Amino acid sequence: METYTDPAESLLMVLREKLGLYGTKAGCGKGECGVCTVLLDDRAVNSCLVPVGKVQGRKVETIENLSRGGKVHPIQEKFVEKGAVQCGFCTPGMVMSAYALLKENPRPNPDQVRVAISGNLCRCSGYKQIEEAIMLAADKLKD
Amino acid sequence: MSYLIASSLEEALTSLRDGSGKARAVAGATDLYLQEMPYGLVDLSFLKETTVIEEKEGLMSLGAAVTHALAASSPLVLSRARALAEGCAAIGSPQIRNIGTIGGNVINAAPAADAAVALVGLGAKAELVDINRETRTEAVENLYWTHNRSLVDSSKEIMVRFLIKPCLAGEGSAFTRFAARRALALPMVNAAARVKLEKGFVKEVRLVAAPARPAPTRLLKTEELVIGRPVNGETISMVEKAVAEEIEVRGSLLRCSARYRQHLVGVLVASALKTAATRAGTSGKAGD
Ligand SMILES: Cc1cc2nc3c(=O)[nH]c(=O)nc-3n(C[C@H](O)[C@H](O)[C@H](O)COP(=O)(O)OP(=O)(O)OC[C@H]3O[C@@H](n4cnc5c(N)ncnc54)[C@H](O)[C@@H]3O)c2cc1C
Ligand code: FES
Ligand code: FES
Repeated sequence: METYTDPAESLLMVLREKLGLYGTKAGCGKGECGVCTVLLDDRAVNSCLVPVGKVQGRKVETIENLSRGGKVHPIQEKFVEKGAVQCGFCTPGMVMSAYALLKENPRPNPDQVRVAISGNLCRCSGYKQIEEAIMLAADKLKD
Repeated sequence: MSYLIASSLEEALTSLRDGSGKARAVAGATDLYLQEMPYGLVDLSFLKETTVIEEKEGLMSLGAAVTHALAASSPLVLSRARALAEGCAAIGSPQIRNIGTIGGNVINAAPAADAAVALVGLGAKAELVDINRETRTEAVENLYWTHNRSLVDSSKEIMVRFLIKPCLAGEGSAFTRFAARRALALPMVNAAARVKLEKGFVKEVRLVAAPARPAPTRLLKTEELVIGRPVNGETISMVEKAVAEEIEVRGSLLRCSARYRQHLVGVLVASALKTAATRAGTSGKAGD
């Protein structure tokens, strides 16, 4: 994708305001909450802290890229199945952190799942269902 | 605003020089982006020199733009400079560790920055080159001007790499920290130790703690007390007391009282020493 913008603009703002990709949420703007998580060259980053100039020529993946042919990704499916979504504001960021984890480590243990989502805050859930949903998604993706 | 992703060290230095003080070196931007952005940025994240981890001629070299995630998972760092792997693994969150760098951590000059404390504990030196192509090598603890201000002027100078003497047989290192949460929480206190044992007795030692002064603080008096002793229960209790007497820490409204911090600092330095000594004792030929 090509867009013309000030390189000091955050990747988050460019995704939302210039490219109309509203799946990535805007929260604290300081790297503290994780709702803005996207993958930059396959690794989870806070898009609110990335000046878009840094992204020239690199691969950015957002939550919009996860569903295929009208079907949600297994991580999303398991979040729904487990009731891991309440207000839903943290969900895109949580799902992207889980997606980054499973790309790097398809068979994580619960501790590794906890570390992977440790940069994502959820005000509603107790994290338990989120953890379980990610473990179930890992199982499903293995098959 | 201009943003250059430098493709060589030479190009980076030339654009800093052309920026006449208005352009600045940047790596992960996790600190800089939350501060005032300069007119021009020169991104060092993709240079070979600033991103390589290697061991050459008995010295470990780590690029200044090595990310925390990379340092924390590097087999070389884990086996030869374990304190750094532990310090980096404790920083922020996966998102921050994936992009934030060890050089940025030092130059941002926060008093209890985790990678910086580990680097000073290991006795790391930084190699810098300026826009006139002059190079200098400095001990990391000598790069601090005052609280949150580095002596490195990033509009004129690039930190290229850190040089660390690897922990070999009989040597070990460790890092410890205490914070309110395990993620996304700056430490109340952090500490690092490096020790060399000979026949079970301490031959060389470095003990470092923060936050106390602008730079991670070496505990020279306590180090002296430890030399020549075995690292046993008695030594550990002695270190806990000696550290609390040697270093003076302040309270913080956000994180913890001065009294609690004073207690913590002794406990954490002693704990780092104990772990480092255990690693030194079991290190055999493989390093710590
Ligand atoms: C949410 C959050 C949580 C955090 N948690 C922690 C934590 O727990 N522990 C901790 O220690 N830190 C923490 N940090 C701080 C931060 O992530 C680190 O200090 C990081 O290591 C900085 O590296 P960077 O590459 O992002 O630096 P940048 O922001 O790119 O640069 C920082 C400074 O260094 C200069 N600079 C960078 N690289 C070079 C170079 N090679 N040569 C010359 N100048 C250079 C820049 O000009 C700038 O002044 C946290 C930050 C955030 C946002
Ligand atoms: S909006 Fe990016 S971490 Fe909160
Ligand atoms: S579901 Fe509401 S913040 Fe997580």
